[in-house]
Amino acid sequence: MKLYSLSVLYKGSTKANLLKAAYDLSSFSFFQRSSVQEFMTFTTALIVERSSLGSRASVKEQEYLCHVYVRNDNLSGVVIADSEYPSRVCFTLLDKVLDEFSRQVNSIDWPSGSPATVQYTALDSYLAKYQNPREADAMTKVQAELDETKIILHNTMESLLERGEKLDDLVQKSEHLGNQSKAFYKTARKQNSCCEVM
Amino acid sequence: MAESEEEVDVLVQRVVKDITNAFKRNPNIDEIGLIPCPEARYNRSPIVLVENKLGVESWCVKFLLPYVHNKLLLYRQRKQWLDREVLVDITCTLLLLNPDFTTAWNVRKELLQCGVLNPEKDLYLGKLALTKYPKSPETWIHRRWVLQMLQKECSPAGSGQKEQQGQVEPQGEAERSWHTERLQRVLQEEMRVCADAAGRYPSNYNAWSHRIWVLQHMAKGNLKILHDELSSTRLWVSMHVSDHSGFHYRQFLLKSLLGALNLSPLPLADALQVHRSNGDGTAGAADDHASAVPQLFHEEMELCTDLIESYPGHETLWCHRRHVFYLWHHWRKNSQGTGPQSPVLTHTAALLSEASDPHNEGRSSQAMDVDCVPDSSKHGGYTQNTKRLKRGPVPPCPGLPSEHLFVSRILSSCRSPEQGRFANAYRKWLDSVIGQ
Repeated sequence: MKLYSLSVLYKGSTKANLLKAAYDLSSFSFFQRSSVQEFMTFTTALIVERSSLGSRASVKEQEYLCHVYVRNDNLSGVVIADSEYPSRVCFTLLDKVLDEFSRQVNSIDWPSGSPATVQYTALDSYLAKYQNPREADAMTKVQAELDETKIILHNTMESLLERGEKLDDLVQKSEHLGNQSKAFYKTARKQNSCCEVM
Repeated sequence: MAESEEEVDVLVQRVVKDITNAFKRNPNIDEIGLIPCPEARYNRSPIVLVENKLGVESWCVKFLLPYVHNKLLLYRQRKQWLDREVLVDITCTLLLLNPDFTTAWNVRKELLQCGVLNPEKDLYLGKLALTKYPKSPETWIHRRWVLQMLQKECSPAGSGQKEQQGQVEPQGEAERSWHTERLQRVLQEEMRVCADAAGRYPSNYNAWSHRIWVLQHMAKGNLKILHDELSSTRLWVSMHVSDHSGFHYRQFLLKSLLGALNLSPLPLADALQVHRSNGDGTAGAADDHASAVPQLFHEEMELCTDLIESYPGHETLWCHRRHVFYLWHHWRKNSQGTGPQSPVLTHTAALLSEASDPHNEGRSSQAMDVDCVPDSSKHGGYTQNTKRLKRGPVPPCPGLPSEHLFVSRILSSCRSPEQGRFANAYRKWLDSVIGQ
């Protein structure tokens, strides 16, 4: 039951702009971590770009679940978790984080901000605290709140894409991914084995 | 880029030497990995050592692996001699790249048998291989061979291998305790290796069944270790609620504890170790022993309930509940049915039927007096009943009615369709299998 990343972004008209992110890559093999992180950044941005304002969704990709909340004011949050981690807790976390973020960081700075310039430091501790969902939040409270029928479920990343768009092409063109990661993606896709693509 | 045979030879020798040196430079390496790197950087070694992690750049594997593989086979076919040092280094390199290469492990078995290789060093290599290939069947199989070898070496009979000048000397006190400590360390390390491998791959059957094997062969009937394992895996399974193998391990622990507790009463020391101290002193030991079983089941069912309620929709948790309840139900049936075979069983049966038949209490305290209670001289007028009252109420035993209540509770409050399905299936199972 794990959380891998927690990110705050601004959904621009054409692109998603990463404002702040926290990662826990301790469960990945050491030498894969930098590629994994790049893929998580890539996936996070892609999901926000393809989600509409005022929506919540969970996107399944292999054994990962990406939970996204795009607010009506374009502020967005993404949690990447494994399939055991209860999704309700993820959405509670996203609500909390975005609420806090919007109060601490002026909205003027959202469209052009970057992790280097944004003054918000709570993501790392939230990610650490929520690794154990029961310690982080009263489960019963969570179950009462969220109306699950409003959360869109996607079984693959592909279902987010436009007709004709290929994930492989997006990977190739992405500026989030270094050459090593792109090479890694190619070989992993070919093998299609137990290794993690992200 | 076509490499000539000499170039490959030179490259491979350098890489093998780099790997050996890396281990010499850092004896704390705890993980190996492949670095995706399609092209070699000019004149730089593909072996990378960062913190305690050893990496191999992927470009060199296509040269390295076939070459070293071939070299070992030639040795095996007696076409080319390799001396022992070289064999150690070559098998190490090979197994870090491909731990399912049985021949390499077998060469190491020979090196272990003639004393060139130290068993702990070999186990260390296996541990590293498992960080990259946590399921590797050949690694786990070879590991069991090494552990068996170690056990033989450390047993009183086995020390005959170290005969001194034809005389077999009996093991002295010091030597025996050294052997015991060594086996203890090895056992604890095996638990750690299994836990690590289980975390690296979901429902890692090979890791968990190895863990079971180790307990069956190196900790037979050892109540303390079984109890410790039950407590130490509790948090792990709570954070891996769909890991079937992890829960199956707990089912094995419960079964083993049942078996161990059903045998004749333990020496005082063991019984004491079994329980967290509750300040009652030695007189409570045998009593603890008998009530241990209901307590165990109560705790396991509680854990299961807690997880089912917190994490709806995980079939593993419901399967675990079936296993545990089934074990409990049959143990209770058997222990109530038996005659005066084992004083422990009779007492427990009495304990369980206490709720329904208070007249049994007198009989059960007599049974306990006959038991090999260590400080029986202290009993006098101090009855078992008084002691039981001091200890507190007997934990509520799970039963068919309480299970049906549980299912109803879940069905009335659950919002997950899967959870509803699992609850209904469980109810049907209760009716058809348990209710008869």
